[in-house]
Amino acid sequence: MNESLLPVVRKAILTVLRDTGRSAQAVESGHLLSTDIGLDSLDLAQTIVLLERELACDPFRSAGSSPTLRMRTVGDLVTLYEAALSAATLPPALDH
Amino acid sequence: MSSSATDFLSRLTDVPVANRLAAAIDLIAQAFPERTAIVEQAGSDQRHGISYGVLAANVKAVEQQLVDQRPRGVVARQREIDALVATVAACGRQQVPLAVVADDARDLVGALHDWAVLDDGLQLSVGTTGIGSQAGTRREDAFDSASPQVVVATSGTSGPPKLVEHSWDSLLAAARLSEQWRGLGWLMVYDATRWAGTQVWLQAILTAGTLVVPASRAPDCVARAIVEEDVSILPATPTLLRRLLTSAESELLSKMKLARITLGGEAADAQLLAKTHAAFPGVKVTHVYATTELGEVFRVVDGRAGFPAEWLGKTLPGGVRLTTRRDGELLVQLSRDTAEVATGDLVERLNDRCEFTGRRSDVIVVGGAKVYPRRVEDILRGVSGIADARVYGLPSAITGELVAAQIVLADPLPAEATPESIRAAALTTCRTALEPHSTPRLLDFVKHLMVNTSGKIPRHSSRL
Repeated sequence: MNESLLPVVRKAILTVLRDTGRSAQAVESGHLLSTDIGLDSLDLAQTIVLLERELACDPFRSAGSSPTLRMRTVGDLVTLYEAALSAATLPPALDH
Repeated sequence: MSSSATDFLSRLTDVPVANRLAAAIDLIAQAFPERTAIVEQAGSDQRHGISYGVLAANVKAVEQQLVDQRPRGVVARQREIDALVATVAACGRQQVPLAVVADDARDLVGALHDWAVLDDGLQLSVGTTGIGSQAGTRREDAFDSASPQVVVATSGTSGPPKLVEHSWDSLLAAARLSEQWRGLGWLMVYDATRWAGTQVWLQAILTAGTLVVPASRAPDCVARAIVEEDVSILPATPTLLRRLLTSAESELLSKMKLARITLGGEAADAQLLAKTHAAFPGVKVTHVYATTELGEVFRVVDGRAGFPAEWLGKTLPGGVRLTTRRDGELLVQLSRDTAEVATGDLVERLNDRCEFTGRRSDVIVVGGAKVYPRRVEDILRGVSGIADARVYGLPSAITGELVAAQIVLADPLPAEATPESIRAAALTTCRTALEPHSTPRLLDFVKHLMVNTSGKIPRHSSRL
């Protein structure tokens, strides 16, 4: 998987920063969500709702896709959504 | 002739309570048969009036059927108010138990399966739900008392609608029969089958008034109905009044000749009261606190939000006693010999007032912390360019719930404002006034807020 969803995730995070009165900053794959970008649990909850609206998918609630929910970096978030989206859109027969 | 009309209110107080509605209709019809009792489809081209003469004839026709068939009880299934009024009047005078059931509570009438049904055609139907036993000696299993007199469904503000028993006494108790109430125009924006609605039309008809039912709840239609039909009393929920004030044509608003606004169903906030006083100077604004289960508990007439804090813990003139639980929930004891009832409404003491902060069931829990949607809505409505707001909880896997808001923009927008600038101002205001977990994380613009059939804003969480 490439990082095609990185711009979508970045846009959601920048919206959260703007809505909470913080200035925009670089959002890259390797950045830690908490210490580098400064997102707390409320910020993350908002990010996930924004992403659900954008992508029509919530990996935290869709049954079946229970990845190990690693969510330390921006890249983790991207991977999580890519996995959830491909699980949701690809019929099993096309998987191999 | 006119003397019987002027003193009929004092004569009415001597009539047994259950007979009172039918007696009022008869007395008015005898003196002024052409007088308009009800205007339906007001504010539209389909407007039509129903006179007291016609209403009295309908009451007689229903009574004849009740006398002939003696059903155990009658379920009123009407959409037209005039048919409903005739049914209630007839059942009262004939002492036939009556159930007034709104559309969304129709499945509850299973409990009344052996009662007869009356619809808009006013033909007693004994086929579908069956007719009562001739003897009428069977026990009423569905209800506490041996023979319920009046059954009403709750509005479902705090859960699914349920059937509540009343007596003719409690149904008619709040209607005021003094001379100052005679012959006025009453707006009817409530569902006529719900408690609040029954209280409005009963008050109007018992006092020889005209009940004005607008063709729709669209602000311009309501405003036209008020102006064209000379409405002087406006009973409404704060949500409906707010919508009227912010969205109806200002020319229509300025032509209204209202004398009194009676708010109920939801708490009225200080901002709305201030806007109302500004738009209608001199109009009396009363706020009624009532529930379907308890009927009217108290009314606040000083035009301020909430109620005087000194009322807590004291017995009020009517015998009502108000207290609060430790979490702020308002408890009501109607009289010394009745049980204390938890209302589900939360109040907070602010200096000399107790203000409503919301319903217990409306509380949004974000990461374990409570958020009162009303408080957030009040702040949003104070932002320039925002006409109305609804705050609700959005489910979240991370924090349980997240605060979200729908916003109706003012029309026109304030000079130089854009939706984006208003959005930013709303978020800044909330951040300054509220804790981080109470600040809305999602703000959506909508054309108007969803209002349920009771005229209130629905609050249950919804996923967008």
